[in-house]
Amino acid sequence: MSRRSIFIIITAVIMLGAGAWSVYLMLRPAGETVIISQDGKELYRLDITREPDRTIEAEYEGRKNIIEIKDGEVYMSHADCPDHICIETGKLRPDTPIVCLPNRLVIEYENSGLDGTAR
Amino acid sequence: MKTKKLTKLGLLTCLALIIFIIELRLPDLVPIPGVKLGLANIVTVYCIYTFTPAETAMMLFSRILLGALFSGNLMALWYSIAGGMLCFAGMTLLRRFADEKNMWFLSVAGAVLHNIGQITVAMIVLKSTTVLGYLPFLLISGCIAGLFTGICAQLVTKRLN
Repeated sequence: MSRRSIFIIITAVIMLGAGAWSVYLMLRPAGETVIISQDGKELYRLDITREPDRTIEAEYEGRKNIIEIKDGEVYMSHADCPDHICIETGKLRPDTPIVCLPNRLVIEYENSGLDGTAR
Repeated sequence: MKTKKLTKLGLLTCLALIIFIIELRLPDLVPIPGVKLGLANIVTVYCIYTFTPAETAMMLFSRILLGALFSGNLMALWYSIAGGMLCFAGMTLLRRFADEKNMWFLSVAGAVLHNIGQITVAMIVLKSTTVLGYLPFLLISGCIAGLFTGICAQLVTKRLN
């Protein structure tokens, strides 16, 4: 077998593996518990079906994030960081968390990420 | 180091920086942090096949450092450095197995390693494994982007050397 075909197979395996992994993440049931944590510590644990509409503020080293809860959906409405990636992520989905790296803030469903398989 | 080589490396660093800054200005295709084309990688892959590993490392890390300074996003520096180091180490090792016809694979491997490095730093900073959920999406985009930049590098090298 030529080098070329070995390389093609390795690339295909990585892509198929990652594809299967992301399909698994997307199809998994979301659950109802949303966890908001900062710097590795859990700040809030919310039952999203029962939570009334409200805003939550979180502060990290003087920088502020505002998290909005509306009709059972969670999203970041304000962030003091330079990139605003967390706001562009939009509403929280079961497969990917909302992450604000500069302010070390994570919003996720309880059974998302690797923690879900361990629990 | 000969002056000619130094000039060449300086020019390539500059070229990579320009590509890097312009790419930052492009709107994101997918709202997943870390998903991007990584066009500056074309220069890195070209360097790996044209210069020694030490020279390539000088080019790459000046680009990363200056890129973070020029874009004003020093927070991202650590992610870039971790990703860049893993990517560079992997590509230098793989260089022995992949000849110039298989440059695309080097680039794919580099992109995948870059993503793994960035996620690792994100896990350390956030003290949480949550961000691992991003990895499969990043791996797929990394393979596609790596393939694209790799083929570009292959074409560029063929015409230049």
